[in-house]
Amino acid sequence: MSQTPGPRPDVLTDPAVESLLQDTTPWLSCEECFERMDTYAEAAVHDPQHLDEAMTAHLRGCSACDEEAQSLIDLLRAS
Amino acid sequence: MTAVRRDSSRDAEAPPASQADSRAPVGDPEPRDWVSALGGTGPEQSTALRELHALMIRAAGHQVWRMRAALPDPSPGAVDVIVNQAADEAMTALLGKLHTFQGRSRFTTWAFKFAILQAATEVRRLQWQHREVELRDVELRPSPAHEGPELSAEGIDLAGAVARAMSRVLTPYQRRIAVALLVDGVPIDVLAERLGSSRGALYKTLHEVRTRLRAELVATGYLPVSQAGPARLPQASPISPTDHEVSPTSSAGTR
Ligand SMILES: [Zn+2]
Repeated sequence: MSQTPGPRPDVLTDPAVESLLQDTTPWLSCEECFERMDTYAEAAVHDPQHLDEAMTAHLRGCSACDEEAQSLIDLLRAS
Repeated sequence: MTAVRRDSSRDAEAPPASQADSRAPVGDPEPRDWVSALGGTGPEQSTALRELHALMIRAAGHQVWRMRAALPDPSPGAVDVIVNQAADEAMTALLGKLHTFQGRSRFTTWAFKFAILQAATEVRRLQWQHREVELRDVELRPSPAHEGPELSAEGIDLAGAVARAMSRVLTPYQRRIAVALLVDGVPIDVLAERLGSSRGALYKTLHEVRTRLRAELVATGYLPVSQAGPARLPQASPISPTDHEVSPTSSAGTR
């Protein structure tokens, strides 16, 4: 790790507070999220009532997995 | 930081990312037994590999197009290279896991996710390739310049409580990871690459951070005991933001 050229603000914005306090239970790892992502996306497309609590919690707390899951859903919808 | 490796030998198969959504409709029934075809030999395998690569190009193109604003060079030529490389690498990853496909989803859906992951990771890597990532163990303070009408003294008060909880209940490592990911906005896979770690390991750290912070804020009266779901700014703070900041229900003061 190296120093940045300029100081970063040492402030907690509301989005950061909200993300720090996100309830990410029940626990699901990024690896398990990836494993479930295909079935989750198909369920999201075909059955809007489908609920996977652990996936939902993970996607709330992991913006990278969330982007990829939403992208897969969008791709299926476009198919 | 590594230089961008590019293999443009397959560019002829790459659609412009902007057209990716409209190409190669998947169709309703699964057109083939993909696992058998890909694991077979001869012309059938060659055809399956070619069609799988087209699927990967399509999904990678879709992903890069979604994230094009993050690309340092969003020119069609550069996008083509990214899409092709992501498709190639995703295909390799998929074929290595072909035996794990259990048919719980369509094969095409299962395949798409490999390309989406690879392409998204590559775009984030490119976005940050010339940016320093710093692990900062800093004492944070509430943002003095809140934006938006919904933000209020209670929001500042909650932010102050979170900042104090970060000092009290997190380890220096947990603070550094939390600040990098959630304050400085470093993508989790970029941070993992720089640290020689993994997305999963960093997410686990983040999960522990959140568990500790939530427990501390419940203990200090800033979150209700039974609160489930995403944290929201409280309707009312237990203390005035100008008071000495110890909640009535707190068993521990601030420092
Ligand atoms: Zn994740």
